[in-house]
Amino acid sequence: MASAAKQIDPVSVYSHAIDEAVAEVFSLMMGIACTSVDDCPIDEPETISAVIGLAGAMSGTCVLRGGERAAMRMASALTGMEMPSLDETVKDAVGEICNMIAGAWKGKLPALASSCMLSTPTVVTGTNYQLHTQRPELRIDRYYRFDAITFSVTLVCESMH
Amino acid sequence: MSEISALIVDDSSVMRKIVERALRQAGLAIASVFEAASGVEGLDILRSQRVDLILSDINMPNMDGLEFLRQLRAQNLAPNIPVVMITTEGSEDHVREAIVAGAQGYIRKPFTAEQIKERVLPLVGA
Repeated sequence: MASAAKQIDPVSVYSHAIDEAVAEVFSLMMGIACTSVDDCPIDEPETISAVIGLAGAMSGTCVLRGGERAAMRMASALTGMEMPSLDETVKDAVGEICNMIAGAWKGKLPALASSCMLSTPTVVTGTNYQLHTQRPELRIDRYYRFDAITFSVTLVCESMH
Repeated sequence: MSEISALIVDDSSVMRKIVERALRQAGLAIASVFEAASGVEGLDILRSQRVDLILSDINMPNMDGLEFLRQLRAQNLAPNIPVVMITTEGSEDHVREAIVAGAQGYIRKPFTAEQIKERVLPLVGA
């Protein structure tokens, strides 16, 4: 009697791919080692979110979010320059980091690598806001820490085609 | 090794600086770097400037990297100048499409200076 085919849990697969993508981008481009954590409290008034749209085989978004300190630290590590404020360079840098995470993530998934396209980054800054989506098929929130700084990466899958 | 001029095409100014830094870290002697934020800007630069190397992203507004490459060839701009795509789009299909469009090299982001050294320097005779 044939055993039942093992069901692949997309949440587990996608989560693992996000973790690998974050580790790859942060280590290769910034020389930073991140650890996964259970939560990402942001105690700063201003936060920054970089959003990459996904289209094609999967519709959705990939969001990198952190506080001002996280953003400036990431940008500084990426560029090798000090960042005195949350300026256009920091926003550009965070957008690019999200872009690379999204690209590295989908590259690890054969079903999506060539059939899921990425948008250019959109960066949102502000205070006390939350991102909402209309009943996604799937939502994964992953949290990370480096140098006592936390940030999150969220994958929202609105639909699979 | 003589110094070269390079054109870097990417909608992110941060990434353009990172690519330039990686080229220098890889040991490339660079006399000048031209920057473009889109394929359209890249074509404009090439109409008036001579370069020895072109590096381009793919996902950009206002003409993406693949269309930039096609227009480069169609308008006979920078003939015989090597073009390397540096992009987050790393699937085999994307690589194939870039090579068909005329790219001589392909580097996936995130990348290291070592990858730049291996894949770019040979194209400029370094």
